[in-house]
Amino acid sequence: MRLRALALMAMLTAACAASALAAPDPDKVLHSSFNAPETGYDPAKTSDVYSHGVMENIFEPLLTYDYVARPAKLIPLIATSMPEISADRLTYTFHIQKGIYFADDPVFKGKKRELTAADVVYGLKRLADPATGSPSNYLVLGHFVGVDELAEKAKNGKFDYDAPCEGIKALDRYTLQLKLKTLYPALLYVLAMPHTSPVSREVMEAYGQNSLAHPVGTGPYILKEWKPGVKTTLVYNPNFRHVVFDFHPTPGDKAGEEVAREMNGKTMPQIGRIEVQIFTEEQPMWLAFKSGQLDELYSIPQPLLRGVLNMDPKNPRRAALKAEYRKAGLKISRVLDPEMTYWDFNMQDPVLGGFSKEKIALRRAIAMSFDTDQTIRDIRRNNAVRMLYTIPEGVVGHNPNFRYQYEYNRALSNALLDQFGYKIGPDGYRTTPDGKPISIDFVSDASAVGRQWNEYWQEALDSIHLRVTFRPVTFNDLLKAMRSCTYGMVGAAWIADYPDGENFVMLNYSKNIGAENTACYDSPRYDKLYLESQKLQDSPERNHLYDEMNKVMMEDTPWLPGETRFRNRMMQPRVLGDEVHPIFQVSWRFMDIQK
Amino acid sequence: MTSTVQAAPAMTGTPEVHRGFWALGWRRLKRDKVAMISLVVVGAFLALAVAGWFNIIGDGWRKEVAIPYAAPSWLMQSAEETLPPAEEDTTSAKSSAPIVTMTQAEDPIGKEVALARQNMGKYASVETPLRETLPFGADLRGRDVIVKTIKGTSTSVFVGIFGALFTLLLGTVLGAISGYFGGKVDDFLNWFYSVFTSVPDMLLLLSFAAVAGRGIKTIIIVMALTSWTGTYRLVRAEYLKLKNREFVQAASAIGASDARRIFVHILPNISHLLLVQFSLLTVSLIKYEAILSFLGFGVGVTQVSLGSMLAEAPAELVQGVWWQMVAVTIAMSLLVTAFSLLIDGLRDAFDPKANK
Amino acid sequence: MFAYIVRRVLQMIPTLFGVMLLVFVLFNVFGGDPSLVLAGKHLTAESLANIRAQLGLDKSQSAQFLIFVKQVLTLDFGTSWSTQQPVSDIIGSRIGPSLLLTGSMLVVDLLIAIPLAATVAYFRRGLTDRIVTICCTIAMSVSALVYIIAGQYWLAYKFGWFPVSGWSASAWHNLWYYVPLPMLMGLMVSLGPDIRFYRSFFIEELGNDYVRTARAKGLSERVVMLKHVLRNALIPVVTTVMMSLPYLLIGALVLETFFSIPGMGNAVVLAVNNSDFPIIKAITVYIALATMVFNLLADLIYKLIDPRVQLT
Repeated sequence: MRLRALALMAMLTAACAASALAAPDPDKVLHSSFNAPETGYDPAKTSDVYSHGVMENIFEPLLTYDYVARPAKLIPLIATSMPEISADRLTYTFHIQKGIYFADDPVFKGKKRELTAADVVYGLKRLADPATGSPSNYLVLGHFVGVDELAEKAKNGKFDYDAPCEGIKALDRYTLQLKLKTLYPALLYVLAMPHTSPVSREVMEAYGQNSLAHPVGTGPYILKEWKPGVKTTLVYNPNFRHVVFDFHPTPGDKAGEEVAREMNGKTMPQIGRIEVQIFTEEQPMWLAFKSGQLDELYSIPQPLLRGVLNMDPKNPRRAALKAEYRKAGLKISRVLDPEMTYWDFNMQDPVLGGFSKEKIALRRAIAMSFDTDQTIRDIRRNNAVRMLYTIPEGVVGHNPNFRYQYEYNRALSNALLDQFGYKIGPDGYRTTPDGKPISIDFVSDASAVGRQWNEYWQEALDSIHLRVTFRPVTFNDLLKAMRSCTYGMVGAAWIADYPDGENFVMLNYSKNIGAENTACYDSPRYDKLYLESQKLQDSPERNHLYDEMNKVMMEDTPWLPGETRFRNRMMQPRVLGDEVHPIFQVSWRFMDIQK
Repeated sequence: MTSTVQAAPAMTGTPEVHRGFWALGWRRLKRDKVAMISLVVVGAFLALAVAGWFNIIGDGWRKEVAIPYAAPSWLMQSAEETLPPAEEDTTSAKSSAPIVTMTQAEDPIGKEVALARQNMGKYASVETPLRETLPFGADLRGRDVIVKTIKGTSTSVFVGIFGALFTLLLGTVLGAISGYFGGKVDDFLNWFYSVFTSVPDMLLLLSFAAVAGRGIKTIIIVMALTSWTGTYRLVRAEYLKLKNREFVQAASAIGASDARRIFVHILPNISHLLLVQFSLLTVSLIKYEAILSFLGFGVGVTQVSLGSMLAEAPAELVQGVWWQMVAVTIAMSLLVTAFSLLIDGLRDAFDPKANK
Repeated sequence: MFAYIVRRVLQMIPTLFGVMLLVFVLFNVFGGDPSLVLAGKHLTAESLANIRAQLGLDKSQSAQFLIFVKQVLTLDFGTSWSTQQPVSDIIGSRIGPSLLLTGSMLVVDLLIAIPLAATVAYFRRGLTDRIVTICCTIAMSVSALVYIIAGQYWLAYKFGWFPVSGWSASAWHNLWYYVPLPMLMGLMVSLGPDIRFYRSFFIEELGNDYVRTARAKGLSERVVMLKHVLRNALIPVVTTVMMSLPYLLIGALVLETFFSIPGMGNAVVLAVNNSDFPIIKAITVYIALATMVFNLLADLIYKLIDPRVQLT
């Protein structure tokens, strides 16, 4: 009964593991590409999207997303079903599927190693272990009963994985119980991130510091070869359980229906070998794809968009491949990423920061002088829509009827600055109302694209007579400036870790200054609304609070909203079942390729 | 002391001979047609550089005069493919909910914005229409490629010449001191030299640039710090050879100071070598700048150089926009070829041995 | 001879120390802080401190330098900060592709440049000489970037004569399939200056008195050119080549980037961008050692070919 219910709602039918395993054809090779180097493949240690993409295929967390459902929908993965949640929403109980095995590894000494609840416990506790140095430790710290204490004790010694811990524990071989200190609305999403995947303790202890190169999971693929920053090769995992694709897209979803048509009835995975190459230059990547050396392009490079897509200049949502590529049978999957870009004003900067009227006016004038439509057209090549809410489309809590937007009006900017006494000096640049010179410290990344943005900003700030000094820095230094609040203005971006508004509204919580709150925005009004929203699940009440938070931000002007970009994955005609998922980075495990 | 030395008749000998040497060289150079043509071309480029530097020409390169990537006027244009007209959009039916945003009352500076709105008339601007094509096309921002190339060439020549000057200065001073004094000083500077030659240039370059930030100043410093070693070796060898010659001995006999001997007596004798070295450095630094810009250490936003233009080329070429790359390549090739041929001429003219 | 070698080897110690000091100051003191990137996007002061402690960045500068000295003495540079792979593994896997590319490029370059340089030097001031010299000058005037960008676009993509980019596990396959195009682009850049450079050696030799004497003795031009001139002119060629060998190790950065060759150039840029200090330290020290050793070898070979040379 349960199995039938699952088949109806889930994309995968999990049949008995004892049935014959249909191994994929090892000669089916997929050549894929990434635009930037990955870090490595330890779920606890890496946080970049490219490592994430590879790990999705090697590791399996408790929950995952339906491949074809839109908006993204959670479904169980190694759990038999969604968890049993106590009435106070503080206790979650998961049942792990029996008969799931880890991929073979020399550490297991030739024995098959079954996945148990203890592995899930280990995977979660490992995030809290200071010795792991996990960038994802925030996912567990501060949430589960007893975990913070264990982490605290481990500071001057070893993390005691065997000590009893009420917050994360295995009730029996296949049952896991999580106990929360306070409400954690995002928990289920967190348990679908590859970072929270179960890992085997023997493997982690055997490989010690070199865990990035030795991922051992229960997923459909295993790491065959890894040349950091150059090439990653995956092959199918012969221990992977029998799973048959059974996708049920929403009626009318053409892309989803095509995936279902191409893939339903086949077993997972279909592709025997995946080779991922890193291309840091756009020209070689595009040429390699066009000449057929690559089967899949992670994303069409920005400068090429106009040459590849026919776009409606008035509506960025409308785009189609140019005839030349359509005729060649090339395919595209295009979705709005759950992300947003924005310009931070440093609220602690002596020139731009502060809550006084004249400082707000200065920031507002700068915001009104910048033509976001122009940069969407020129730099983004119409491949983006304006960000009009601090939670992007496709993320729970987004309000399509809100307009977080300052009008583009340079004359008004100038007049507003005049109004507040920012007089134009003899050198043609404005001074502060008390006559001191102004120079905006604009930090940017040192790439060619960074330079392009700077050109537009130079022009905008020239038009309102404000002096600007650009400080192009490496990525390290960019982060350092943003986190230590030592800059004037900077461009920032945030992509969803999970599709819930909480992941975005926390960007401006004052306790996150030094981390995600890069505008260094400290507003008691905002904090109060934020803390209230933390207590609520998705509901009209929470949405109302989100609207209020957006208004408070709009008034104080710590941000100039930018845009939300589309991701355009391109494939050769021989690639089947490939569709961009809003949360998954890659779709390899759901795909097939004709030889 | 100095004045007496200048008056000493023994001292006038060397510079005199030297002047003759330069005159002879010039006469030889004038007979070399290729070198003379190159000299004219290089001269023209230098004039362009100076004019560009003082904003006499190329000043308006930042003006957006055309549509993005406007094609060269003489190019046959094929019609742009367009999307079929939008169908009735049924999927994202606009919800009837009212638009929510910050109201003027909620805005802490709402009143002031309203006041300012009344006074914004004096900042009204006129839009100039953008051209569809340009004589040699436009870049992404619709800037004229010809004007941009002129300004870029000016910057590149400037960077090349000043980079070469600083490199030469650093190499010559260190080389002269090392060769002239010998002993401990020489040992120390030689150590310094071998350290710099043992570290790969690319590492020096990446790390210096990371420390020093961006801009023309950084480029010149990076160039000087990574290229001085060749000049150092050359100058040191010359000083080792020349310091024991009679005219230097004579100068020391009448009490000329070390500094005077180094710079007044020995230096003019290697000036022709330095001239060739300088030209060589200029050429290689102009090309070096292109690589630096490509790696992201180029000039600032308000400046343009041949390198920063070339850095835009890969992204443009895949879109079929080749004009900026071609313009830069022509300008750079012409300049570098002329410069190189001139150097050959100078070598032939001033190095009698090779002149056989 | 032995005493000379010992003295030269001893001289390497202070140089190596200087190199270490320079690299340390540039990267450790002024360089970026790698912990910020490693800490990911949700960072806390605590996780940052934790990572810094793991990398040893919380130790004093002098203590960190002492660790560096120890690493150089044992030639064990530990593991990379960003990928946590042993540095020796990374360098070991990167050096092959770089050497394959730059080494084959050097061989082809010499095979073309030396005969051509000898020929044009022999006919110096003639039409051939003029044409070759001017062609070289023009070829040299085009930026390496233009060759690569345009070459990849037309030769590989438009005409399909070469693969656009890539690299395989087999060295032979790489050599005949992936290497030719980047090698061709590299040769376009290097042949011009090399031909001109070697030509000047030949011209210098041809101008020597012994050539005139040999001709006067009635020796055939062939014998004069091959036995005397070629042999003597090759001395400076051999030493220049010897001294350029260490640079082969570091590969050709731009070529590697455009043609997706997993070589050292790429590794260096990646390491600098990530402030991956162990990799930077290792590469610098190895290259510095190679430079010094090859310089010594060049001097010794010089002595071997030409016994007149005094080693000082």
